[in-house]
Amino acid sequence: MKNNSNYLNVMLETASAEFGSALEMLAACKTSVKDTFAFGYFEHSKDEYNHTKTFLSILSKAARMMPADIARKYRFNSISLFSKGYLSKNGYLIETMKLKDFIAYVYTNELLAKESFEGILKLVKNNYEDTNAIKNIMNDELRHHGFAKEHFLKYYPKLQPWQLKYYKAKETAKNRFRRIYDFNLKLLGKLLNPLYILLGYFGVQIISLINTSNLSRTGRNLMDLKSNSIL
Amino acid sequence: MYLGISCYNHESAAALIDNNGNLINYYREESLSRVKSDKSFPKRSIKKIFEENSLNTENIRSICFYEKPLSAFLIPLKTALKHIPKSLDLISNQFRNFDKSSLSCYLDISRSFPGLENKILYVDHHLSHTLTALVYSQKKNNLCSLVVDGFGDRSTTSISFVNSPYEINELWSCDYPVSLGLFYSAITDFLGFQVNEGEFKVMGLASYGNSNSKISKKVSKLLYWDDKYKKIQLNMDFFDYHVSLENSFSPKLKSLIGEPRNPFLPLKLNDKNFQHYADIAAGAQEAIINILLNLFEYSYQITGSRNFLFSGGVAMNSASIEKIAKLPFIDEIIIPPSPGDAGSAIGAAYYSFLKCNKNFSSKIVLPKLFPSIYSYNNQKKLTKKIISRNFEKISDRMDESYKKVGELISSGEVIGISVGNSETGPRALGNRSLICDGSNHDAVNFLNTSIKNRSPFRPTAPCMQLNIAKKYYELQPALMQAYKSMGATCRCKNGTNSNSFPTSHVDKTARIQIVEKDTILNDLLEILKKYDIEILANSSLNLSGDPTCFDLIDGLMVCARSPLRYILTDFGLFKSKY
Ligand SMILES: [Fe+2]
Ligand SMILES: [Fe+2]
Ligand SMILES: [Fe+2]
Repeated sequence: MKNNSNYLNVMLETASAEFGSALEMLAACKTSVKDTFAFGYFEHSKDEYNHTKTFLSILSKAARMMPADIARKYRFNSISLFSKGYLSKNGYLIETMKLKDFIAYVYTNELLAKESFEGILKLVKNNYEDTNAIKNIMNDELRHHGFAKEHFLKYYPKLQPWQLKYYKAKETAKNRFRRIYDFNLKLLGKLLNPLYILLGYFGVQIISLINTSNLSRTGRNLMDLKSNSIL
Repeated sequence: MYLGISCYNHESAAALIDNNGNLINYYREESLSRVKSDKSFPKRSIKKIFEENSLNTENIRSICFYEKPLSAFLIPLKTALKHIPKSLDLISNQFRNFDKSSLSCYLDISRSFPGLENKILYVDHHLSHTLTALVYSQKKNNLCSLVVDGFGDRSTTSISFVNSPYEINELWSCDYPVSLGLFYSAITDFLGFQVNEGEFKVMGLASYGNSNSKISKKVSKLLYWDDKYKKIQLNMDFFDYHVSLENSFSPKLKSLIGEPRNPFLPLKLNDKNFQHYADIAAGAQEAIINILLNLFEYSYQITGSRNFLFSGGVAMNSASIEKIAKLPFIDEIIIPPSPGDAGSAIGAAYYSFLKCNKNFSSKIVLPKLFPSIYSYNNQKKLTKKIISRNFEKISDRMDESYKKVGELISSGEVIGISVGNSETGPRALGNRSLICDGSNHDAVNFLNTSIKNRSPFRPTAPCMQLNIAKKYYELQPALMQAYKSMGATCRCKNGTNSNSFPTSHVDKTARIQIVEKDTILNDLLEILKKYDIEILANSSLNLSGDPTCFDLIDGLMVCARSPLRYILTDFGLFKSKY
């Protein structure tokens, strides 16, 4: 059961990551300075949407065999991309990064994505159809990587392949750090939970002293309530 | 100029009202961010409002937030407090995430739009709903406002009397956690659908159910109107949304009606469990209708008004409205096109306006159905290569394109439309729509299943001109305005074949749209007369799980990701080669 849950989790997280990329690429498409760039990002975004669909269908096939209570936890929900960190509250990468960094980011991430799919391939090894679908996705990612690389070298000719390698090393480290960070965050969350509970408990004790019954507005003209009051 | 915003709890949005009190621009954040039900601070929406209207923070006299943030934070906490230790997780989460709650609106505004934070007003949440509905009402005095939602900042249902826009007296309210909206969402969750968007599915599923079945009765009995005390009663033992972070219903509900549905299993009409789930949905729908009937009745008793404003998320339950409108004391029910929290940004902006203008004359015009300003020039340039590579130009003249669309529809094609300003949402009314011949079963089926991957128990809406609507459907005078924005269902007329239309529901109703003059759909329906097509099937231009398209790139993306072949744009008709 635990293995199954892990399987569902991998598929859900991968679908979420792919969906995040689709939206990032769409945002990049809409802010492009040239129609040729827009075309590239558009196609890339379309691929990422399709990858999402593939992973969601793999997820769905597995989850429908599970008891409802477990399966329910693996529903895909696009707003969860914010809390999971696939999208940032501050905006899309293209809005928050320098263009050069953005392209370098795409370049390296595509390669990393392709690598992480090798792990997923092992998970679906018994299913011919899924294996093929994931292999196709890996080809897409390689193609994306190629485009980004070409683009990067064309528009930033002063930057040489070794510099791209540097970007890749940086991203790999970041990714690893992200995993460690994520792990620590979860651990920290667990450790701190009693503290939050305690904080919540005392907070609530104080709050319980605030009398909310005078919040009742029956019989009052709602237009006369103080407009600068947050209560 | 006056701004109103809604965010943090449901879909976020921003609205702009001009110095005469007219709504001139409005965006849902999800349209711009492309994240369905995006509830984050509507930074993009406000920015776009500024851009499209050449404004900056100095041009804004005040910005109104759609609820009282501290009450919105405190009341659920105080309720949860009564259920410690069960509710500890919920409580600690509230504290941990207080920066994602309404309490952070001041900070978010000051961070993103410095200067604006000195102009913030806070409006009572249900008042923002009432004002939204009031904006859409020709009549501005002597109205009864009924607000029914999940939860805002205080109550979950309320009745007010609108003496004038400046005097709106609350007469009755129902306190959290008893909530029609949250009850319906919990059942939505139980049935395996996504809360906040699956409610429409429950409504569709309900018409296949038998509300007299044993299981249905069990559900409908959980929520009832207590006529003696004039109160809504909900048996909270069966629900956990007020004490738990993860579960909206309690284990007791499972022992009452069985295991929740596995969300990943397809729900098909002939499956062995289909009837069971449909009956559960029917029970929830029955309970909602009963309470609403009682609420309207009681509202009439205490206000004496025959004109109603109906808003809040539950007002999107279009299937219940048909029954309500038959109550003999109702002359009119105004339901704004976006009765939920996204739309309440409009009411909040209106509140800003009213607070700064003490003596306005009621010359305010009713808002347009397409208030999201969109200019296509930039996208025309940007999509040049996308279109030249993967689309074939059918025509770049608009009149010719319309004629061609008529021809294509008559031959059974589905057409995507992405033209002009966009709808208020959530319903697509023709500018961001997928349309086809409403009498062609194959075309409607292709639209519904192949393109949109929608559940078979949710029919597509039909749209038509007024005279055609009169011919096929039993229109109710009280709902004439709601029909313009697909706000209510109506019955198929006896003696006509309308109940066999592919857009009709199994319970012989349809969620019709009566098109207005000077709209794209009206123009197309004129052209289609030549082909004897009177009704179009109309669904939003998007794929399942995504927000409705906003700009052309979104529309082209639907073509790229689905078998949709044709798209009508601001600069012509194109055929997809994807
Ligand atoms: Fe991908
Ligand atoms: Fe990729
Ligand atoms: Fe609300």
